[in-house]
Amino acid sequence: MRNPLNSAAYRIAFVYSAAFSIAVLILGILVYLFAHAAFVGQHETRITEVSRELVASYHDEGVGELREMIAARDSLASASDLRYALFDSSGRRIAGLLDIVRPQLGWQDIIFTDEEGEADPARAFSTDLGNGFRLVIASDSDTVEQIDQTILTLFLAGFALILLFGFIGALALGGYLRRRIGRLGDTAEAIISGDMDQRMPVGPRNDEFDQLSRTLNAMLDRIAALLDNLRQVSGDVAHDLRTPLARLRNRLEGALGEPENSGAQRDAIEAAIEQSDEVLGIFAAILRISEIEGRAHQAFSKIDLSDLAVELCESYALAAEDSGRHFSSTIASNIVIDGDRQLLAQAISNILDNALHHTPIGTDIIFRLESEGDQAKLTVTDNGPGVPQEARETITKRFIRLEASRTTPRHGLGLNLVSAIAAMHNAQLKFADHNPGLTVTIVFRTEPHTRND
Amino acid sequence: MGDETQMRILVAEDDSETAAFVAKGLRELGHQPVTAENGEDALHLAITEQLDVIVLDRMLPKLDGLSVLKRMRAAEIGTPVLLLTALGQIENRVEGLEAGADDYLVKPFAFSELAARINALIRRGQANSIETQFQVSGIVLDLLKREVRRGNEVILLQPREFRLLEELMRNADRVVTRTMLLERVWDYHFDPQTNIVETHMSRLRSKLNEGFESDAIETVRGVGYRMRGDA
Repeated sequence: MRNPLNSAAYRIAFVYSAAFSIAVLILGILVYLFAHAAFVGQHETRITEVSRELVASYHDEGVGELREMIAARDSLASASDLRYALFDSSGRRIAGLLDIVRPQLGWQDIIFTDEEGEADPARAFSTDLGNGFRLVIASDSDTVEQIDQTILTLFLAGFALILLFGFIGALALGGYLRRRIGRLGDTAEAIISGDMDQRMPVGPRNDEFDQLSRTLNAMLDRIAALLDNLRQVSGDVAHDLRTPLARLRNRLEGALGEPENSGAQRDAIEAAIEQSDEVLGIFAAILRISEIEGRAHQAFSKIDLSDLAVELCESYALAAEDSGRHFSSTIASNIVIDGDRQLLAQAISNILDNALHHTPIGTDIIFRLESEGDQAKLTVTDNGPGVPQEARETITKRFIRLEASRTTPRHGLGLNLVSAIAAMHNAQLKFADHNPGLTVTIVFRTEPHTRND
Repeated sequence: MGDETQMRILVAEDDSETAAFVAKGLRELGHQPVTAENGEDALHLAITEQLDVIVLDRMLPKLDGLSVLKRMRAAEIGTPVLLLTALGQIENRVEGLEAGADDYLVKPFAFSELAARINALIRRGQANSIETQFQVSGIVLDLLKREVRRGNEVILLQPREFRLLEELMRNADRVVTRTMLLERVWDYHFDPQTNIVETHMSRLRSKLNEGFESDAIETVRGVGYRMRGDA
């Protein structure tokens, strides 16, 4: 387990909870200060009111009456009530229980001695009555302090709770985030260490993490497919090149054994060159396939598939007749698709090559291009030996060469190329039994409007 | 394929073995090859030397082949250029032709293919006027009338056969390879497994030779075809 301080999840959770706590703290301080000021203000207002009342009665009725009023108030007063003191001009306290020396005029904080003989802080207001008399009214600060104390205690307890919950919440949130990210990390680690079958966990809620997982899984699927492809190619390359390269080596060795400058040596060298051309042909085909598979569609343009088919059939008809096969074609006109002319020509010629090279002499080969709704169907049918059901599935795989055709000097990449080109054109490539023989079909999507000319 | 005049040919190729192989072959044909191992040297030679053809590899150190070609053309050097490109790059051809190449050849190649293309380029460099009629060993091909005659007889040809004959006659006395014919007559830049060139050629041949003793088209084994001028 890494240090939680280094964890972004914990850091985010704790920063959030700390920010919340600081906000609460500021709120608490403000409440405390305003409450304190309000209570002090309340006391002062009361002192001011009483002071005005007593001053008025002094002016109306004289110092005797004032002394009586103070005595009366003192006798009724409780500990929380106001306290009074009246000083004469010599500074002697002549009324009231407030035990202090004669203070300054106006508002001040004083310390007086209470009934138990203890020093007690108070807020006091003194005012001069004339003739040297000075009236002091004080309010014990105890009540304000008690309220302050209560607010402070309550707030601190609340704040401690908030801190506690914040801490627990941050731990829980941080842990949750870490756990979910950790699961992605663990899966990635497993994949790094070689288990390509691992996938990111996807929960039922489809939250951001699930969406991320799903995207990552799609990416992993793509990578896995590419890897598989690569693995298959390299395996096949190794497998299929070993034979022609070994043969090449044997032929050259055989050529060395022949008498110098003899016709036999020449033949052997020519055969070796042919063999190396075959190897180069395999490379060329592999490179071309991988190029097509990794290529975008930007090179596409409108292609008159009918024209292309007519042209190819015309070129192949002669070759088919010369090689003893019967070739016929039916081509619907004005079929236009989006595509790459070179690649389409190559795909169709590969199919025709196969029909010519993997069938016995006397075979009928029928080429058909027809329009079906918004589809163009291109079929090449022969009544040759056909391809067994189980082989039809793998026929487009790289380097698949059916045992029957192992003897022909071809590299078995032809239909793979056709398949890659068809996929690039969003066309479907199908193989069906023609009983006897094989039907190869490519279904293209045509342009909605065909050419009118 | 012995050729009459000696040509100065620049071979810009960084692989010394390939360069030596090409230079040796060209020397044997009576040409005078000059080699350059990198793009800067190639550009320098292309601009300063009097050359008949340049064989330019696309991948050259210091300055790649396409840049050499573009700078050369910018300097108004019109020497015919045969661009050599690596396997598996379909876009290369178009890109090369747009940059000003006259022909291209995919590596690896047979030397006979290279030699045939160099010869065709030399001819192209010489024939400035647009020819509408060709005449080779008693056969006349008229592009405007779309007509072929041998002696006094008009020979009826299919359009593809006509194009084949035209290509051979344009390059009279020079070998035209199977790949060149596929590219120029069919516009196929791939190699079909079926001998479509051969079958068309034999059809053309039988039409041309009907009633005549001599074969108008010579087959150069393993390389291509040639029409001999009046020897």
